[in-house]
Amino acid sequence: MFKESRLRTPLILGNKTYHDITHDICSPIEGPAPRPWKIATAIAAVIALYGIACIMYLVSTGTGVWGLNKTVGWAWDITNFVWWVGIGHAGTLISAVLLLFRQRWRMAINRSAEAMTIFAVMMAAVFPVFHMGRVWNGYWTLPLPNTLGTLWPNFNSALMWDVFAISTYFSVSLVFWYLGLIPDFATIRDRMVKKGWKRFYSILSFGWSGRAKNWTRFEEVSLVLAGIATPLVFSVHSIVSMDFATSVIPGWHTTIFPPYFVSGAIFSGFAMVLTLLLIMRKTMRLEAYIHVKHVEYMNIVIIVTGSIVGVAYLTELFISWYSGVEYESYAFINRFSGPLSWSYWAMMTCNVISPQLFWFKKLRTNLAFTFVMSIIVNIGMWFERFVIIVTSIHRDYVPSSWGEFYPSSIDIGMFIGTIGIFFTLFLLFARYFPVLALNELKTILKVSGEAQKNEASH
Amino acid sequence: MGMNKKYWTGIEELDNTPEFQEAITSEFKKDQSVDEFLSDSKLSDTNTGRRDFLKFMGFSLTAATLAACETPVTKAIPYVVKPEEVTPGVANYYASTYYDGNDYGNLLVKTREGRPIFIKGNKTHGLGGGALNSRINASVVTLYDSFRLQGPKSGGNDISWAELDNNVSAKLASANSIRIVSNTIISPSTQRAVAEFAVKYGVDKVKHVQYDSYSYSGITTANENSFGKAVIPQYDFSKAKVIVSLDADFLGTWVTPNIFTHQYGITRKPEGAWMSKHFQVESRMSLTGSNADNRYPVKPSELGKAAAALYEAVVNGGGNMEGVDVAAMAKALNANRGSSLVVSGSNDSNVQMIVNAINSHLGNYGSTIDMDNHLNLFKGSDANMKELVADMGNGKVDVLIVYGCNPAYDWSDGEAFAAGLAKVGTSVSLNMYADETGSRCQYMAPDRHYLESWNDLSPVVGRVDIVQPTINPLYPNTRQAQESILRWTGNATAWYDFVRSTHGASYAPGAANANPTWNMAVHNGTMDAMPPIAAAGILLASAMEATMDSAMAAPAPVAAAPAVTSGPSIDVSSALSAVKSITGGQWEMVTYQKVTIGTGSHTTNPFLQETPDPITKVTWDNYVAMSPADCKEMGLATHLGQTHPASLVTVTAGNRTVTLPVFPAPGQKRGTVSIALGYGRGANEEKIGNAAYQTGEKGVQLTDENGKLVPVGKNAAGFVTEASGNRVYALYDIQIAKAEGSYHLATTQMQNTVMGRESVVKETVIADYLKEKGKKKGEATWNLMPALVVHQDVNGDGKMNAQDKVHVREMDLWKAHPVEGIGHRWGLTIDLNSCIGCGACVTACHTENNVPVVGKDEVVRHRDMHWLRIDRYFSSDFATLEETKEKKGLGTIAAYGDMENASDNPQAVHMPMMCQHCNHAPCETVCPVAATTHSNEGLNNMAYNRCIGTRYCANNCPYKVRRFNWFNYVTNDRFSMINPAQDDTMRMVLNPDVTVRTRGVMEKCSMCQQRIQAGKVDAKIKGQKIQDGDFTTACAEACPTHAIVFGDLNDNTTENYKRSQNVRSYHALEEVGIQPNIFYMTKVRNIESTEA
Repeated sequence: MFKESRLRTPLILGNKTYHDITHDICSPIEGPAPRPWKIATAIAAVIALYGIACIMYLVSTGTGVWGLNKTVGWAWDITNFVWWVGIGHAGTLISAVLLLFRQRWRMAINRSAEAMTIFAVMMAAVFPVFHMGRVWNGYWTLPLPNTLGTLWPNFNSALMWDVFAISTYFSVSLVFWYLGLIPDFATIRDRMVKKGWKRFYSILSFGWSGRAKNWTRFEEVSLVLAGIATPLVFSVHSIVSMDFATSVIPGWHTTIFPPYFVSGAIFSGFAMVLTLLLIMRKTMRLEAYIHVKHVEYMNIVIIVTGSIVGVAYLTELFISWYSGVEYESYAFINRFSGPLSWSYWAMMTCNVISPQLFWFKKLRTNLAFTFVMSIIVNIGMWFERFVIIVTSIHRDYVPSSWGEFYPSSIDIGMFIGTIGIFFTLFLLFARYFPVLALNELKTILKVSGEAQKNEASH
Repeated sequence: MGMNKKYWTGIEELDNTPEFQEAITSEFKKDQSVDEFLSDSKLSDTNTGRRDFLKFMGFSLTAATLAACETPVTKAIPYVVKPEEVTPGVANYYASTYYDGNDYGNLLVKTREGRPIFIKGNKTHGLGGGALNSRINASVVTLYDSFRLQGPKSGGNDISWAELDNNVSAKLASANSIRIVSNTIISPSTQRAVAEFAVKYGVDKVKHVQYDSYSYSGITTANENSFGKAVIPQYDFSKAKVIVSLDADFLGTWVTPNIFTHQYGITRKPEGAWMSKHFQVESRMSLTGSNADNRYPVKPSELGKAAAALYEAVVNGGGNMEGVDVAAMAKALNANRGSSLVVSGSNDSNVQMIVNAINSHLGNYGSTIDMDNHLNLFKGSDANMKELVADMGNGKVDVLIVYGCNPAYDWSDGEAFAAGLAKVGTSVSLNMYADETGSRCQYMAPDRHYLESWNDLSPVVGRVDIVQPTINPLYPNTRQAQESILRWTGNATAWYDFVRSTHGASYAPGAANANPTWNMAVHNGTMDAMPPIAAAGILLASAMEATMDSAMAAPAPVAAAPAVTSGPSIDVSSALSAVKSITGGQWEMVTYQKVTIGTGSHTTNPFLQETPDPITKVTWDNYVAMSPADCKEMGLATHLGQTHPASLVTVTAGNRTVTLPVFPAPGQKRGTVSIALGYGRGANEEKIGNAAYQTGEKGVQLTDENGKLVPVGKNAAGFVTEASGNRVYALYDIQIAKAEGSYHLATTQMQNTVMGRESVVKETVIADYLKEKGKKKGEATWNLMPALVVHQDVNGDGKMNAQDKVHVREMDLWKAHPVEGIGHRWGLTIDLNSCIGCGACVTACHTENNVPVVGKDEVVRHRDMHWLRIDRYFSSDFATLEETKEKKGLGTIAAYGDMENASDNPQAVHMPMMCQHCNHAPCETVCPVAATTHSNEGLNNMAYNRCIGTRYCANNCPYKVRRFNWFNYVTNDRFSMINPAQDDTMRMVLNPDVTVRTRGVMEKCSMCQQRIQAGKVDAKIKGQKIQDGDFTTACAEACPTHAIVFGDLNDNTTENYKRSQNVRSYHALEEVGIQPNIFYMTKVRNIESTEA
C-alpha cells in the first residue's frame, strides 16, 4: 500500500472528452433557439427599445428631461457610467491578468466575462455621450485637426483623459476578445451544415486553419495583448476616478480614489460575472465547466476587493475628521447623516458588511447565496457611485445652493434601458457565439480528470 | 550598415528635368502668369462630352437644391433716411421718469436702434441719486407687452377714436354727476387738464377722486391733525444716526423706497464718520427688518403699544414693553436729537400721531424730516374713495372715468366697486389693459406706456420732472390718457404743447423746438435739476482713503448730542389711549406689498415674477408666511422642496376667506401671519398677460374645475380693513385652519442658514471693527486671511512647527495667469454691510444679459437661471459649530442639524453671488473642450459656441454660479407662456449685444463683458486711457446703496482697487485657493456700540 497525494479538484468535471467539449459548446449555436431564450431576448429587447426611446426624447428635448438641477449637475448619468465601467473591469482582468499569472481556471469563464466587459463598456459609453447638452458636438472632445488652427481639447481635463482611457480600453478589450474567438469560430465553421451560417462563421474565423503556426501566433499575440491590457485594467478606473479626484469639491477631492475605484470596479465586475455565469451555467447546462471551484475563487476575489473598498470608506471618514477641514468633514457627516444618508447606509451594508459573509466556506460555496450576493454587491456599488457623486455636490461649499436631487422617469428609463440593451447583446452573444473558450478548455482537460488518475493506477 | 536609401523631394528631382534644375537655383518659385496660362494652346483642346455635361448639370442642380434647403434669409431693412442720432450698434440714453401711482423714479432709458432695452437711474439729476428698485428697472418689459390694448373699444368691440370721443362727449354733456377716479395725480399738466375738464362740465358735477393702491392716508391724516397739512413729508435717512422703524418697510416698499434705500446706504458705511443704528419693530420679517441692527418682533395689535411705550420712554423716560427694548431705542434717540428718525408703516393715524409727537420731541422736523418741501405723492383719500363706491352702488354716478388705477382689483372692497360699476351710466377706462376695472367699463380708451408718453411730474414741492417718450407708440391706435381728457374737454391742443405751456413762458412751445430751457429740462429729465449729489453722500474712494489712513483715534460712532430744540409738542393723549385699547386675538395678520410685485401692477411682468422675494426667496406665488414654530405646532410642512410641497391653510377674517400655501418664514412673530398683496390678478380671465396665470409642467396654462385660467397667487386686498377712515393693513383677530391638500412653492434657496461657514460670510460688530479698523487687510481678528501650515521652516526660526504658515495665495500647483499688474484686471467689490438685498441688481442683470425666464415649474426643480443671485442667510441660535455643541450639549451631527434651523428672531445677511471670475478657476481646468477660459483681463470667459454641455464646470464651481440651459428656452413649447423671448413683441427687449444662449450650453455672469468691450472701444476712439467709472456692470449700476463697485484692480487709483485693499475686504472661500476677482467686505453690525 502506498499513499498518494490527493489530486486537485479537476477544472472540468464529469469525464468529458474533447468531443464532449466541442459538442457542449457548439450545440446551442447549431440547434434551434430554445423558447426561454426567445422570451428572455424579447423582454430584454423591449426594455432596450424603451431605453432607446428615452435617449431619443432626451436628445430631441434637452437635458432638462432628467432630474438634474443647478446644484446637482451629474447624478444618475455619471453614476451609471461609472457603474458600467466598473462592471467592465472583470473581463479583462480575468482574461489578461489571470492569463499572465497562469490561472488556468480562468478558461471556463474568460469568454463570457470578456463579452460582458465589451457590452458593459458600450453601455458605460452611452452615459457620458448623452449627458452632454449638445451630443452632436461630442466629437470636439477628440483631438481632431480642425480649420480653427489651434483649437484643441483641454488636456488638463480629466474628462478628456476619460475619453482616451475608455476608448483605448474598449478597443484593446475588443481585439483581445475577438482574438480568442477566432479558433472557436473555426471549429463552429467546420461543424456548421447550414450554408449561410457556415459562410458567416467562416468570415468571422478569418481563415483559421488550426496549424501549429496559427496556434503559436495565437498564443504569442494573446500574451502581448494581455501585457497591454493589464495596465489598462488599472488605468481606466483610475482615470475615471480622477474626474472626481482632480476637482475641488469636498468628497470628490480625494487622493485615495484611484486604487479605491479600481478595487471597487473589480469587486463589482466579479459580482456581475457571477450573476451572469450562474444563470448561464444553469440554462446552458455548463455545470461541468463552471462549478463551485470557480465560484469560490471569484468569491475570494470579492472578499479581498470588498475589504479594500471597506477600508477605503473608513479611510475617507478618518481623513475627513483628521484633516480638520470644515467642508471636508461636513461632506462626510452629511453623507452618513444628511438627507441622502439612506444611500450611504445602503452602500455600506451592501459593499462592506455583506461580502464579509464569504469568509464562511459554506456560504462562498453556496451557489444560490452567491447569486443573491452578486446582485447585492452590484446594487451596493451603484449606490457607492451615487453617494460619491450626488451627496458630495448636493451640499458643497455655499449653503445657499444646497439642493436636492430626484430622478425623473427618463433617468430611470435610460438606466433600465441600458440594462435591457446589455442583456439583449449578452443573449445574442450566448446564442451565436461560443460562450466558453472551447479550444482553450481542451488544454486543461488532460490534467484535470479523476479519470486520468484512475487510468494511471490501472 | 549605412543608409543607402535615397529620398527625392518629388518626381522632378528624380527625373532631374531642366525645369527642376532651373527652379533649385532661384530662391522664389516662379508663378505662371495668367496670360501664359490662357495662351496655352492645349487649353482649348479640353472638351466636355455629353455625359460630362449631364454630370455637371446634375451636380449643379443638386447643389442648388441643397442650397435652397438652408434657412430662409430674412432681410433686415436698413433706414432709408437714417435718423441723425441713431447709429446702429451704439446705444442712446434718454432721461425720463417713472410713476405708476406707487413707485417713483428718475431714470435714463437705454435705446438701441430706437428700441428701449434697459433702464437705469438718472444719477446726476435724479431724486435720491437716481436709485431705482427692481420694479422700475424691470418695467421696460411691459412696453412690449402684446396684451396691452391696441385700440379703443366699446363693449368689447373695436371702435374708432372719433366714434368714442363723440359718444363719451355726448354722455358727459348730459351727465349730472361725473367722477374721475385715479391714483394720486402728481402731474401739474394733468391736474390742469382735469381742472379744465371740470370747468367745462361744471365744477359741481365733476369730482376727481384720488386713492392710492397702497394707502398712506393714515400718515396724511395724522399730519393734518398735527401740522394742518395733509401730506407726507420728505424724510432724509442719510442724516439719521438712529433710525427706528415701526413696521415701515422703507427699503422695500414704503413711500419712496428707492430714495430711502439710497439714503440709508450712505449711513451704512462703517468707514464713514458714523454708521447709523437701525431698530425695527415689526411682525413679519421685511426687507428693512432683515437689515436692522436690532429687530423686535411684535404682533400687529401691539405695534401701537410699542409706539406708545416708545413715546413715553422718549418723552418721559418711562415706558416699557415686553419683547421690545424700548429703553435702548429711547436712549439712542435722545442721544441723537435732531439726527434721528422714527417712522411707522402703520396706516392707523393714531400711531402716526404718536410718531409725529416723538419726532417733534426729538427735534427731527427740519433736519431728517422736511415738512415744507413735502412729497406730492400719496395724497389719495380713502374716505373719498369710500364715498365714491357708495355713490356708485346707489346709482348716483352718471359717468365714471377710470384713469391709471384698478380699484376693482386693489380696492379693499373690489367687489363693491365692480358691482357699483355696473350701475354707473357710462364708464370709461383709460387703462393700458383690459384689466379687472377696464374690462368692466363700457368704453376703453387705452393709454400709452410711459416710455411712449410725454408728461410732467412733481414728486415733491418745487420740483418738476419730465417724462419723455423714447419710442414711437408700439400700438399707434392708442392715445395718451391726458390727450383723451383734452379731447373730451373740447381742447384741441396737442398734449405735448399743453405740457410745455403749463410751466410758463420759458418752457412754452412758442419757439418750436429751439427752446433751450425746455430742451435742457428734457435732457436732464427735470426742470429743476437738483444740485449734484453731495460727494459725502456716496463713500467715494478719496473719502474712504482718508478714513483708512486715519489712525485708530478714539472711536466716536455717535457724536455728542447737539442741543436741538424740540418741535411743537403734539397732543397725543387720545391717540395713546386709542392704541392702548387695541386687543389682539389668537391669530393676527398683516398684508403687505412684496418687494418684487408691489400692489399688483407688476404681476404680469415675468421678470419680476421670477425675481425671488428678498427674504423668503419664493418666486411666482403669494403665500401665508408663518413662524416655523407655529407651523410645527399646527402640523404644517416646515421643510419645502422639490418633493416637499407646502401645506395649505384657510385664513378667515369676518366674511373674507382665502386658502393659501404656508411658507415657514423665520422671523415672523409667533401667532401672526402675513400675506402679500398684488397677486391673484385676472381672476375672471382678463387679458392682462400670460405671467398672471399659472402654467403647468408642459407649458400649458392650468385651468380650474370650471375650465377657467388659474391666477398666480390669490388676491388679499379683501383683507385690508379700515380704521378711523383709513385702510389699514393689519387684522387683529383672524381664524386659521389647516386645509386639505398641498401646493408647491418655488424657492430659489432652500437652505436658511450659513452653517457657521465663516469663510463664506464674514461679519463683526462695530466695537470690534473700530478696534481693528486701522490694521492691515487680513490681520483683523474678524477677517484673518487663511494660512496653512507647511512642512518647511518658512518663518526662519530654525524650527519646523505650526508657526510655519503660508497664505493660500502663495501656494500654487502651476503658474498663475499673469493678471496682476499687467493690463486691466476687472473685478467687483461687494460691501455686505451696505447690501440690503433688494434685488435691483438681479433684475438689472436679467434685462442686461437676456437671462431666460424659466417659470415656476423649473424653479421648483431648482433650475432658475439667474446669473446673479442674492444669497440670504439667517442666523442660527449659535454662530459656530463649537458654540452650538457646547451651549446646547449636542454632538457634532445633532449640532449641524440644529444649525440648519434659523433662530426665532434671526439676524439676516444678504450676499450677492455671481461668477467670482477666479484667477485659478476650477471650472476652466475641467472643461474637456476648453469652452471656458481665462482672459488676460482677469475674466473667466465662456465660449457658448464651443460648449458641449458636460456640466463638469458647474459641478466643480465652489460657488455654484454656473447655469445650464436645460431646454431651448426660446423655442421649447413648455416656456411659450413664460419666457418673454418667445413672445413676438416682448422679445424686442432683448439686448442685442448679448447672445441668447441655446440649449445644452453653460452660461454665467460675464461681468458684463459687452460693456467692458464697448467701454474699451470708446476709450480707444477717444484716444484716452480708461477712466474709473467710464463704464460699469449692470449690477453695480443698479445698486441703490453703492454696495457693488466695478473697476480695474490693476489700477491703484480706482475706487474698486481701494475697496479691495480695505481691512474689511476678503474673498469668499479664500482657502480653496482659487483667487477670485470679486471681493466681499465684512458686514459690520451696529450693536453694542451706541450704548457705549
